[in-house]
Amino acid sequence: MLSSRLSSCPKRRIEHTLSTHYCHNLYDFRRYSTQRLTPPSPQHSIYISNSTNPYFNLSFEDWLFRRKAADKPLLLLYRDDPCVVIGRNQNPWKEVNLPVLRASKTIPFVRRRSGGGTVYHDLGNTNFSIHLPRTSFDRHMTAQVVLRAVRSLGIDATVNDRNDICVGTEKVSGSAYKIVSQRAYHHGTMLISTKLETLGDLLHTHSKDTMETKGVASVRSPVRNLQQFKRGVTHGAFVEAVMHEFRKEYGLLGNDDKVQMIDEDDCRDIEYIQHGMSELPSWEWAYGQTPEFTYTVHQTFKWGSAQAKIKSKHGIILSCDLCVSGPTEGTDTTAGGSVASMSAALQGVTAVSMDEPLRFVVKEVEQMLQGRRYGFISAREILSGLGTHDNTKVGAVEDLVSWLVNLMDS
Amino acid sequence: MLARRLQKLAGRRFIAACLHTSCRVQNSQKIIEKFKLADIGEGITECEIIKWNVKPQTAIQAFEPLCEVQSDKASVEITSPFDGVVTRILVEEGQVAKVGSDLCLIEVVKESAASSSIAEPVDVPSTSDTASTRPTTVEPKTNEQESRDELSSTHNIPRRKHPMDPTFSPDVDSNSPVLATPSVRHFARQRGVDLAQLVPGSGRDGRITRRDLDEYLVGVDTTSSNKERVASQDNQDVVVELGRTRYGMWKAMEKSLQIPHFGYSTTLDLTPLHGLLPRLNAHIPSHYLPPSTVLEVPPAVSPASLYPLPPTPEVPPSGQYTRLTYLPFLLKTLAKSMLEWPLFRASITQVADASLKPTLTIRPHSDISIALSTPNGLYTPTIQNVDTFSVYSLSSHLKHLSYLGRQTPSGLTLKEMPKRGGTLTVSNVGAIGAGDFAAPVLVPGGGVAIVAIGKAKWIWDVDQGDGSGERRLKVGISWSADHRVVEGAELAAFVECWRGYVENPERMIADSV
Repeated sequence: MLSSRLSSCPKRRIEHTLSTHYCHNLYDFRRYSTQRLTPPSPQHSIYISNSTNPYFNLSFEDWLFRRKAADKPLLLLYRDDPCVVIGRNQNPWKEVNLPVLRASKTIPFVRRRSGGGTVYHDLGNTNFSIHLPRTSFDRHMTAQVVLRAVRSLGIDATVNDRNDICVGTEKVSGSAYKIVSQRAYHHGTMLISTKLETLGDLLHTHSKDTMETKGVASVRSPVRNLQQFKRGVTHGAFVEAVMHEFRKEYGLLGNDDKVQMIDEDDCRDIEYIQHGMSELPSWEWAYGQTPEFTYTVHQTFKWGSAQAKIKSKHGIILSCDLCVSGPTEGTDTTAGGSVASMSAALQGVTAVSMDEPLRFVVKEVEQMLQGRRYGFISAREILSGLGTHDNTKVGAVEDLVSWLVNLMDS
Repeated sequence: MLARRLQKLAGRRFIAACLHTSCRVQNSQKIIEKFKLADIGEGITECEIIKWNVKPQTAIQAFEPLCEVQSDKASVEITSPFDGVVTRILVEEGQVAKVGSDLCLIEVVKESAASSSIAEPVDVPSTSDTASTRPTTVEPKTNEQESRDELSSTHNIPRRKHPMDPTFSPDVDSNSPVLATPSVRHFARQRGVDLAQLVPGSGRDGRITRRDLDEYLVGVDTTSSNKERVASQDNQDVVVELGRTRYGMWKAMEKSLQIPHFGYSTTLDLTPLHGLLPRLNAHIPSHYLPPSTVLEVPPAVSPASLYPLPPTPEVPPSGQYTRLTYLPFLLKTLAKSMLEWPLFRASITQVADASLKPTLTIRPHSDISIALSTPNGLYTPTIQNVDTFSVYSLSSHLKHLSYLGRQTPSGLTLKEMPKRGGTLTVSNVGAIGAGDFAAPVLVPGGGVAIVAIGKAKWIWDVDQGDGSGERRLKVGISWSADHRVVEGAELAAFVECWRGYVENPERMIADSV
């Protein structure tokens, strides 16, 4: 297949001399690098990023989006190192399995600037981004361009009603959009040879049904790689197919505008991109853009039970309502003696009420949590901040605090 | 020279006096503009506000990002259309706003047109303080004017022109919004072009595009002979395809050939109704009045002091009006007559088997279809249970229907155009031009009869008055009915029943209490 592709190039060389210059290089474009003396211009039509840094790629995409002439179409293709990418207005605690993410040590999560749901990127996934003038932007049309590219690779793909590319009932691509006054873009993923088990682990959050969040929830669908439908489909083949369909759609086939290959270093001096690359990993963007959410959880301990209702907005805890109670009547019917002893331990607390000192401590805990960053608290911090209290309560309070901290870390 | 200087001084004072007595001259004033969530396209009807880029009481420039909203998978950045100060944010972050609802208030400094305030020097002697009270626009003052001057009042009130009327020129105050992107508006403002002249544009949903603007400017520059030349250049025949609505009309009219029509026409005397109008206009319920005309003076005594009043219905701005027309009355009286004549509440029962003997289905209420001629074509929305509407609510409903019909694309949905249709159809052809009579065509689904109402005209009726005749307001009505169902005599008698209500509107007092 590879040789047949190469042999077809000479024919094309006669017609489109400059674009085919890159025909060979697409298969090893990562080795190819342009030696640039000046920073790249945003006025070309097709860009391929050699960088696999998700922060760079998203910032570069945004720079092209803002700087390119408003009435011309633009295509950008890139791949990222393994990372989880959430939508502009999503809740990372709800969408991403943060413990697994942290355990991986190398996989970050990134919040992108367009809307939509959560996706996993790795080198087996290719991202495309089509920028158009706002008035002529049509998400169905842009999806068709990518669809035709996939079909030209010999895969029987279709577009579903959510404008995602599927093969049969399984998704192979997810999309998101961004619209500003003059421009709009449709960008999306294309799973070619992604590690689907890692994808599954990272995006599977043990049910956080009790976390009610404003903002967009992901619509989960079963996914597949293109290689599972047709072996031999590679990133390079997909890139070439998309470029060809893009050129066809926007009348650029005869155009001799070169495909721009961009390295991260080329954009060292572009302030906008550098600023973007530092903004994206910051707490203010990654967590601080989380919309309001309320998390209600219940937990039983040896000494009783607790219910917490944590309200957070923009990653800061607005309030935490803790309701602690002794063992409820009826739940421990057999251990009549132990019930009695437990209530004795809690100094005569009745079945569903808190005793004064405990209530006081609980209030202190609530106050300590307020205003802190959700998910960035250590149990020791809280416990050391509390005033002296009854020895008998220490266990209960420690349990409570570590439970809450674990909750927020998960 | 001295004389000339004196003359000049006198002249200046003359102008100054002129300016003083005519409308106040204001060079600039601060106006609070409501910034609405524009249609983002792609069928999106509501969005969540993710982030406001400004706080209240901060200045903002035109085209600066104002806020970010999200809908489905699209994140949209909205820029400010004006230079001004954001005074109040109406939808907070995390809340959902519907397309068309207000997002925030921006205080803008507006330069008001100085030309309207400078009066002609010739008018100065005659211009007195009453000049400012005599209205140039039609609004609450018309009632006083009408009562002052009943016979000639129809001449003072400018009739709103139907969009299909060749002399129609869209005015800025019409309900259709002028859609254009901010950059197009900016460009138009720079060139001094009134975007309302270009409505609807060639962009999506009737937006005015930059190309429309350029073409308009080119058209303004070139002489008319150029245009003529362009028209005559094409001496060839041009083949044009029928649009969806026009083709729909074609198909319906072909089917109408199955119906044997007969016609019947007469005139109705609207003089008593005409006399009632001013008083009824003065008592339009406040929920049908546009907010600007309702005076918000809290009453000294409130009827709601003991117990809250029943809630007033929600009326969209497109259903608000300031004066009644004759059509709601004609519909209401027609509905009342239909209650007395079951035949006109009947429709031919739709059966699959055409060989069965036909039956008529009689409805308990009066359903009337209205023929609506819109820029998109001819539609016939139906108002169901017209007999249950009041004249005021009918007027509101009609206004809303014509607003929906005039949207590009048409805002009429199955809700307004149910499959069942009405049993009678009314066509207000008198709204365009000065027609008296017509020969309307009945289509299947249009009921058992259709009536075309001409233009109301003042004529000298020799039969009225005490032998010497009288000036009466008459309107021509032309019926076409399905002779398979309706007899000539029945139609004539029905029309006489209708006339009994229209020409004696006081009867409705006895009936409706």
